[in-house]
Amino acid sequence: MKTEVEEALRGRIRNLDAMPSIPAVLAPLLRCLELPPDQIELEKLTELISCDKSITAQCLRMANSPLFAPGRRVETIRGAVVALGSRRLRDILWSSFLVRMAPKTDWPVNPAAFWEHSFGCAIVTQQLARKVGWHDPERAYLCGLLHDIGELVYATLLPEEFRAAVNAANERNISLYQAEQELFGFTHADTGGLLADYWSLPTDVQKVIEFHHTPELAPQPVVLSALVHLSDLLCRMQGMGYGFEELMEVDFADSSAWRLLREELPKIGSVDVARFTLELDAEAEEVRRLVSSVFQP
Amino acid sequence: MQSTVPGTAMDSRLSGEREPADPNLVYIRDLIYQVCGIFHPDNKLNFLRDRCIRRMKVRQVDSYRDYLELLTTHAGRDEEVRNLLNEITVGETCFFRCPPQLTALRKIILPRFSSSVPRLATRKFRVWSAACSTGEEPYTLAMISLEESAGPHRNVAWEIVATDLNDRSITRAELGLYDAYALRNTEPYFLQKYFVKDGDKFQLSSQVRSRVTFSRLNLLDESKLLFMKGFDLIFCANVLIYFDTASKRRVVEHLYNSLVPGGHFFLSPTESLFAITDHFHLVHFPGATGYLRPGGLSGPGSPMPPLSSEKK
Repeated sequence: MKTEVEEALRGRIRNLDAMPSIPAVLAPLLRCLELPPDQIELEKLTELISCDKSITAQCLRMANSPLFAPGRRVETIRGAVVALGSRRLRDILWSSFLVRMAPKTDWPVNPAAFWEHSFGCAIVTQQLARKVGWHDPERAYLCGLLHDIGELVYATLLPEEFRAAVNAANERNISLYQAEQELFGFTHADTGGLLADYWSLPTDVQKVIEFHHTPELAPQPVVLSALVHLSDLLCRMQGMGYGFEELMEVDFADSSAWRLLREELPKIGSVDVARFTLELDAEAEEVRRLVSSVFQP
Repeated sequence: MQSTVPGTAMDSRLSGEREPADPNLVYIRDLIYQVCGIFHPDNKLNFLRDRCIRRMKVRQVDSYRDYLELLTTHAGRDEEVRNLLNEITVGETCFFRCPPQLTALRKIILPRFSSSVPRLATRKFRVWSAACSTGEEPYTLAMISLEESAGPHRNVAWEIVATDLNDRSITRAELGLYDAYALRNTEPYFLQKYFVKDGDKFQLSSQVRSRVTFSRLNLLDESKLLFMKGFDLIFCANVLIYFDTASKRRVVEHLYNSLVPGGHFFLSPTESLFAITDHFHLVHFPGATGYLRPGGLSGPGSPMPPLSSEKK
């Protein structure tokens, strides 16, 4: 019985044409921003940004927001780029794309909380990657940011099922992943994997999206899946979750993700997780500002 | 043609970090963390700055750099660190001081304990407030115990032990008389149910007071600590910060042994045990971190390994 339902639902989510595609200008822009600050080509950056009206508008709006850049009024893209800085620009680029992904109908979750969780997880994964000495913190950021895109597929293509899963998670104080698994037999990790493939995201990013709840099953590089797994938990415990209470006790030392990281990156033994957790307080504040500025005009 | 963004100020902004704080203040922050384990994240640096400025006025220095010197190289540095810590923690004590810790207790730790009790049996849930000051913390726990004992976890009998080094604090705690400031975090529900207004003070009901056993205890007094055994939960906020590393390690070792396997230990929300011991597991609850003595209710108790074999 359940497998029939599962098959029917799986059929519906293959209809991914209903999901927006990645704008062409995004990839070269992000490449531009990945360079060290002293090598960033400002001309090229402003030129690329000016190709996209909504990104341009967003940059100017944020550069003139008292929350981000108090002081002089900014009139040009170039001025906005300098005022915002590369880290915020990257956030704006992704957010101006992701905002188009928001389902048109009512979400059963607070969209601001969803975006806070996504951007929070991006930053936390990146910081954690730095702390443990992983060589590519930028890739870690991307994996953290996109790890839950499967929820967007759920919300867009299976809105009723999504609502049922959110309600179950809310009522029983369990994770959305667990609720989806119990109700439908497949989760946002599966739907996210399909969307990542449809978008032709890099393979390692696809795999993280698919395995972020089961890092012990992830293919190499398992470090990325494990980092996102732990950052996801940290965000949910530190006020950057989906806005409903999950009653759990998370013990890193006892988790498979932590053991995987210990095997791959011995340096992790010297990481002060307590201090890292306290530092997240400042990150959460920044993420809330970003989200309130971008997603709630 | 390549145009790069000139100037170091812009470079620092392009690297995407927030406005850099005074490096000496950041240094003081890290010093405080190393010495006592209290950490101020970037968004709380204003608080630390404010407390430093209070001390700088007293000591009549007007730069963080000079003040840093008083904290590090000057003859009275230990005393100055202590004075600064006093400024940082002064007035922190109040009822319901750290709600996420209390939520973890009520919604996660206690239900798990309760469900481990065999049907039709009762078991004692033993809590120790190890630096109870003037009683706000253990009395908060006592009110929670009264609420929970009327709810689904009536199979749990609570025992609340409260100790402090300071005699006068204990005497005041036993009086149970508080001003409005101590009750700033207390919901009207608890205020109405458990307090009676007495002039500009609030008298705690005897029902709550009788649930707590107070005594004087020095956390460095090993002969007495040997009797503090079998606790399921220990609170110990803002005390370890005053000990040097060796004493801190000794106290924490005792606290570890005072817990049952699977028992929990809460510091103040900004303290950490990093580099003191790695026998505890750091655990995350919603909005709070705690320390767990591994072993668990079901498994056999793992005795604490000797501290000297800590590093492999």
